[in-house]
Amino acid sequence: MSDLTIVLRSLQTRAFSSIVVVLLVAVSAGLMLSILSLRSAGERAFERGTGNAHLLVSRDGSPLVSVLNGLFYANAPKAPIDATKLAELRASFPWAMFVPTAIGDSYRGFPVVATDAGFFSSFEPVLGEPWRIAEGRVFDKNFELVLGSAVARETGLRLGAKLTLTHGSGKSREDGGDGSAEHAHEHREYEFTVVGIVAPTGSPHDRALFGTLESSWILHAHDRFEREGASRTVTPADLTDGDRVVTGALLRLPSREASSAPPALVSQYDRLRRDGSITVAIPSNEVARLFGIVKSIDVLFLAMAGATLLSSGVAILLSMINSMSERRRQVAILRVLGASQGRIFWLVLTESTIVGLVGALFGVAICLLVLFVATQWLLGAHGIVIAPEPDARSAVLVAMGTTLLAALAGVVPAVLAYRTSVARGLRPIG
Amino acid sequence: MSSHPSFALEIARLHFRYPDRGAGKQGFELQLPSLTLRRGEELLLVGRSGCGKSTLLQLIAGLIDPTSGTVQIGAQDMHALKGAARDRFRGRSIGMVFQTFNLLQGFSALENVLAALLMSDLVSAESCARAETLLRSLGIERLDARVEELSVGQQQRVAVARALACQPTLVLADEPTASLDPENALNAVRVLRDACREQGAALLVVSHDPSLAQHFERRQILEALTVGASVGEGARA
Repeated sequence: MSDLTIVLRSLQTRAFSSIVVVLLVAVSAGLMLSILSLRSAGERAFERGTGNAHLLVSRDGSPLVSVLNGLFYANAPKAPIDATKLAELRASFPWAMFVPTAIGDSYRGFPVVATDAGFFSSFEPVLGEPWRIAEGRVFDKNFELVLGSAVARETGLRLGAKLTLTHGSGKSREDGGDGSAEHAHEHREYEFTVVGIVAPTGSPHDRALFGTLESSWILHAHDRFEREGASRTVTPADLTDGDRVVTGALLRLPSREASSAPPALVSQYDRLRRDGSITVAIPSNEVARLFGIVKSIDVLFLAMAGATLLSSGVAILLSMINSMSERRRQVAILRVLGASQGRIFWLVLTESTIVGLVGALFGVAICLLVLFVATQWLLGAHGIVIAPEPDARSAVLVAMGTTLLAALAGVVPAVLAYRTSVARGLRPIG
Repeated sequence: MSSHPSFALEIARLHFRYPDRGAGKQGFELQLPSLTLRRGEELLLVGRSGCGKSTLLQLIAGLIDPTSGTVQIGAQDMHALKGAARDRFRGRSIGMVFQTFNLLQGFSALENVLAALLMSDLVSAESCARAETLLRSLGIERLDARVEELSVGQQQRVAVARALACQPTLVLADEPTASLDPENALNAVRVLRDACREQGAALLVVSHDPSLAQHFERRQILEALTVGASVGEGARA
């Protein structure tokens, strides 16, 4: 038996209100921690997802959209870059990396990235972390596909599997798509073979499939022939310059260190920006800008969570004050048994602190649940890969803050208990 | 004043007065020139409602301070001690039994007794074992049962065990039979007296019930002991 037993029994005798208050504290702490963790995990995920590209060129409406579409596969870019323009861009500077990409096809909702061999040899999905092939090899022929790790896991496709692609996102409105499924169609004429699976990267690339540009061009040339009323099996020889389009290009300038921004970056960025026919983005800057926009909403959410947390502190205070008549007798008995006023003060303060601490621990559990649901939703709906882990520093800060707030809320009841008249508390005694 | 070593309780020139309540309403006043109780002795103080019985017990227990005079428990002047020291001394030297028992709700029988040891900083393996033995000797077998689950008679015995847990010098019982039927009242008094005798504690019972008189060799009427006690508005039980 210890003072803690006295405190726990006291909580037990008021089990219902204790549980309600603990839950209130838990929800508030969980909400606060979830927001902080999601923000931090989101930032990490977006920072990782930009890879080692210094520049991204496309014909999207804005640099931010260009990055969201070209690197995070939010949507298929609408406007293509033709072969002439692409060749001009390639020749305009001695790029260390120049990887064209064409995004627009899909397999069961997963985007298919048509690209060249440089995508696996020069582009790093995460800065400083090159691709690792978990199974098989990278594509070296048309109609070969490499799967991102999440695609392999979720579709169950293995090496050697045969599949056909859908032109368009393939998402129906019911699936949460934009309705373009009405215009999507499956290219059953051309069968692809899975030749490789890449190791997880913790980036949106895990949710994509990768094939050759020429395969993609053949699919679209087939559509062209169909529109012209000359349906037939297309070969590379049938391709025209009009078919050889891409939706973007990942560029890297020569630099001594992998992580550093080369001095020529700003000048090349400015030079490309002057070309009104393309959109050029520095991916890391766009991600920072995105978080700058999100930050103001973030502050609003944090303020709301803070207010909820504060109201849970008030709930502790009210619940303890409401129980004062019952508590007065207990305090008086303990005083008669030899408890000092100081000890009574600390017993009551310990009780409110325990409510805060238990609430904070449940809050962490609620946060884990929220993160799990949120990350699954972000993954499924937007393909954004976020690690479902609470931010450790935030968890410690929120737990400490919640406990401190609960302790503060207990000060008033503790003072009231301290000042309880033993004679009044024991009535009727004669 | 020097205390007699064989006295458990020694009161001298005790004066207590509640503040006047204004508008001509006189405050309650209690004057007790002398009262002693030897170690192991039993005393029944009888008095009508409002004569100051409970006030006297609160003065003895150091829960309120007298205007003047002294209350010695063993060799210690209770009111010379302040704050936590007095609380600890009370817990260790005085056991109290109340009319409504005042057990800690939600606690088991054993926990109620252990709480007395804990608050007096006397918890040890030995004292815990003694608490169990004490409860069993008073006929409480379900030590882990919550006190609300016990019968009134059992609750009364738990209250007695708690009062004796710290092996006090003095046990104060405030109307210990007031809420019991005659049969249970008789039994309660017997349990209380036997337990105190066994533990060597002096017993001071205050009651308005004259039928208890037959059980105590030494009995006194409180009004006869006090000087000029006045009972008016604000009288205490």
